[in-house]
Amino acid sequence: MHWLLPGITAFVWGFAGLAQACLAEPSLVVPRFIDETRSAGIDSVYSGEWEYMVGGGVAAFDCSGDGFPDLLLSGGSSPARFYRNASARGGALRFTMQPSGLELDKVIGTYPVDIDGDGITDLALLRVGENVVMRGLGDCRFERANEAWGFDGGDAWSAAFAATWERGAGWPTLAIGNYVDRAREMEPWGSCTDNWLHRPFVTDGRSMRKFANPIPLKPSFCALSMLFTDWNRSGTPALRVSNDREYYEGGQEQLWRIEPGKPPSLYTDADGWKLLRIWGMGIASQDIDGDGYPDYFLTSMADNKLQTLTSPPQDGPARPDYKDVAFAKGVTAHRPYSGGDLRPSTAWHAQFEDVNNDGLADLFIAKGNVAAMPDFAAKDPNNLLLQLPDGKFQEAGDAAGIASVAVARGAAVVDLNLDGLVDLVVVNRWQTAELWRNTTSDAGHWIEVRLSQEGSNRDAIGAWVEVRCGDAVTRREITVGGGHASGELGWRHFGLGEGAQAEMRVTWPDGAIGEWEPLNGNAFYIVERGKPARQWSP
Amino acid sequence: MGALHRLTLLVFLVLFAVGAPAGAAAAEPEARRAEQALTAWYRLSLALVRHTPTYSPPVASRTLAYMGVASFESVASGDENMQSLAGQLNGLRPLPERNAGGTYDGAVVINAALSSVVRDLFQNTGPTGQRVIALQDAKLHKLVAEGLPRDVVARSEDYGRQIATHVLSWSRDDGGAVVENMGFPYEYELAAGPARWVPTSLISQQQLPLLPKWGANRTFAMPTGKSCGLAAPPEYSEDKASPFYAEALEVYQTGKTLSPEQRAVARFWSDDPMLSPTPPGHWISIALQIIDQDKPDLAKSVDVLARLGIVLADAFIGCWETKFHYDLLRPVTYIHRMIDPKWETLLITPPFPEYPSGHSTQSAAAAAVLTDIFGEDFAFEDRTREGDGLKPRRFASFWAAADEAAISRLLGGIHFRSAIERGLQQGRCIGEYTNALRTRR
Repeated sequence: MHWLLPGITAFVWGFAGLAQACLAEPSLVVPRFIDETRSAGIDSVYSGEWEYMVGGGVAAFDCSGDGFPDLLLSGGSSPARFYRNASARGGALRFTMQPSGLELDKVIGTYPVDIDGDGITDLALLRVGENVVMRGLGDCRFERANEAWGFDGGDAWSAAFAATWERGAGWPTLAIGNYVDRAREMEPWGSCTDNWLHRPFVTDGRSMRKFANPIPLKPSFCALSMLFTDWNRSGTPALRVSNDREYYEGGQEQLWRIEPGKPPSLYTDADGWKLLRIWGMGIASQDIDGDGYPDYFLTSMADNKLQTLTSPPQDGPARPDYKDVAFAKGVTAHRPYSGGDLRPSTAWHAQFEDVNNDGLADLFIAKGNVAAMPDFAAKDPNNLLLQLPDGKFQEAGDAAGIASVAVARGAAVVDLNLDGLVDLVVVNRWQTAELWRNTTSDAGHWIEVRLSQEGSNRDAIGAWVEVRCGDAVTRREITVGGGHASGELGWRHFGLGEGAQAEMRVTWPDGAIGEWEPLNGNAFYIVERGKPARQWSP
Repeated sequence: MGALHRLTLLVFLVLFAVGAPAGAAAAEPEARRAEQALTAWYRLSLALVRHTPTYSPPVASRTLAYMGVASFESVASGDENMQSLAGQLNGLRPLPERNAGGTYDGAVVINAALSSVVRDLFQNTGPTGQRVIALQDAKLHKLVAEGLPRDVVARSEDYGRQIATHVLSWSRDDGGAVVENMGFPYEYELAAGPARWVPTSLISQQQLPLLPKWGANRTFAMPTGKSCGLAAPPEYSEDKASPFYAEALEVYQTGKTLSPEQRAVARFWSDDPMLSPTPPGHWISIALQIIDQDKPDLAKSVDVLARLGIVLADAFIGCWETKFHYDLLRPVTYIHRMIDPKWETLLITPPFPEYPSGHSTQSAAAAAVLTDIFGEDFAFEDRTREGDGLKPRRFASFWAAADEAAISRLLGGIHFRSAIERGLQQGRCIGEYTNALRTRR
């Protein structure tokens, strides 16, 4: 293991410009998904009226210790529902709803994160009203921990979440995005309430195992998605915030510097940050263009955005100056692609995952009308945009079998039956959530990786995983946040295409870079810091 | 909090406080209650313009015109000194009359009329807008009707709804009633040739121009959309000695050397759809601020709002007719082609042809009408954009404001000088038709 030094930066960037994929197959593999909602036992509905028009998320995480992701689905005005994963490896999806302690009402969003670093996943529940952090007790039992962890849940309409471990901290920093002031019923527009930054409580220069009072992030512009992300590969993640222009005045998209020991500060036009005002609803991140820096897909109404750095630096610091390449890459996803409804779309959760294991990250987008807005599509199918070897994307939602026109919100694209193919769960407003099993028969090879390190940040949030096949490198930043009201913690999936082997290395959150390790495809690996990757079997 | 929000909030704090005594309406003069209902619906409408995705500037101008006519006729029907606009506006037949001998409350009439018109014309707004409309409806009903005799309330509400129905029926066949895909056509053939408009953004929806048929809509006070046509813009040329090149170079060089004040001017009048009340809403906001400050009588208030709405709607029809007749490319297209491929505009270039400038046309039209009503040297402060963090601006006259709004488009990099100067010319012409309307007997 070596440590990140200035000279190393150039090495990391040295992959920029190489082929993006591991080994893209010559012909496009259209994945096949089967709707197993009913047979799997999922029957959760995200319900509620005006205060639940946003949100409706799902958390995917393993609390039973068997490696299979369990699910928590927001219920809106109804209690959230926890489903224990009872699937067999490679088999049909099976879930069992069971009491967990997570069955709170007014839950909009839910994100898994091991807050106290005990190796048991905890959860942040975003609510209309008080937010609640739930401590994992093991065996899928949870208890409220606001008081124990000094977490001020406030009283807001919270819809966005992100978590990071600031350098040197032994306790996480949580960002919570808040929406409209629901008390201003006659004046909802322009009433965005403050977002909050929950940093560790520090005494004598040491972060304690609890939170300090939240810091308001002023100005706030009705955030619907947040993501701690190392946008400039500096080693210090910043906070990307996507805001809903429907409700702010004088607002825009935001990027906050969150530097240890310093108050948060916004990147401005003087830094290169450009004004962008959208109905921001979700963030997905992936280094799509292979320049070594994360790109950001931002969901909105009508056209969506795919931002990439305008000028990735050859050396020296990056400037947060992004250009929109959604049109060029074919991911504007601005209207339904099937069903005949030509009105503009409304997009929420977005997530990059390689659904056909061809080594190229694909893009899932959850779609659904806000309520019954007549100017926007009522039957708005979810998108599944397959990345092609030339970096453009092609719609395959219909062919893949996931083109539901239910009113979608949050989602998770995650391997639920540990067969190496990512499956799909989507939360719908007023309708039952939907679950699809990925049954693609001619998909490529894959690996799935789970990081682990000692200390508070057990799951290595903020690390980067690189997977290399030949000259092609796929990079993923390990994050908690983004999407729409939905988060995942656990296996990180990489398609390998035709490559039966790959190499992998990890840049840990503190900048230490592991060695490249050869790995066989079609296997799970637990990567403990300082040790060789260990193959794992369910 | 912006001027609009502050004023709206004040209205509700004063008038809708919980525990208002029964009979509050009866205790307030009719005209005062009517004025409050009028301004409350207008202020909500400006918020809805901002928050309803189909509301591009032309669409906003149309709604504001029909709201103005409905307001005006609600009051004029009970004021023998006022002259109905029926027979003066294209296609507007005589409105229903009040029953002789029946007692009406003017505040209930105008509130019912505006409630119906706003509900109808903003029926496509989102769930938050629908919620606020319903809340405002309930609260305004209480304000205007509480304590009045039931038969008076019922008769007045019924009459107000009759006016709304009449106006809305008139609106249905004007060509602008149906707006799909946020105004962007599903099919449209772009004209060939270097001078023609081409898309300026990478937004899929905006690869075809906004509302290409809007210029054929039925006008309100002027005969047709062609009534105030303009001469052709400078001939397209790539010759560096040509007037066309010179105008492009002016936009480019101006954009490169903007002073803070020039940036402030461009931002103040940017009036982007979905992020502001749009240009026509900006001028309605100016009128509302003046009404709030000067407190003219109700007859004058509805006269101002009706004529201003009418002239703004006519301005957008006339301007759009000219825009699609000449179909000229935007500065950013030409500058990228001929001067600097990396040049960026300060403002977002709107997705439709350049000539003439819509803000110039409609601002001159508005200035013509407001000057006719309030006088040549009517100084005022405009706080429309305060909520967006933009400082209020003071103007010595309506024409000073219109001139600044017009040149702001050059500062913002989205219009050539000819489009601005001739847009102002077009607006003056359109304003004359509205000023020829008789609103008093």
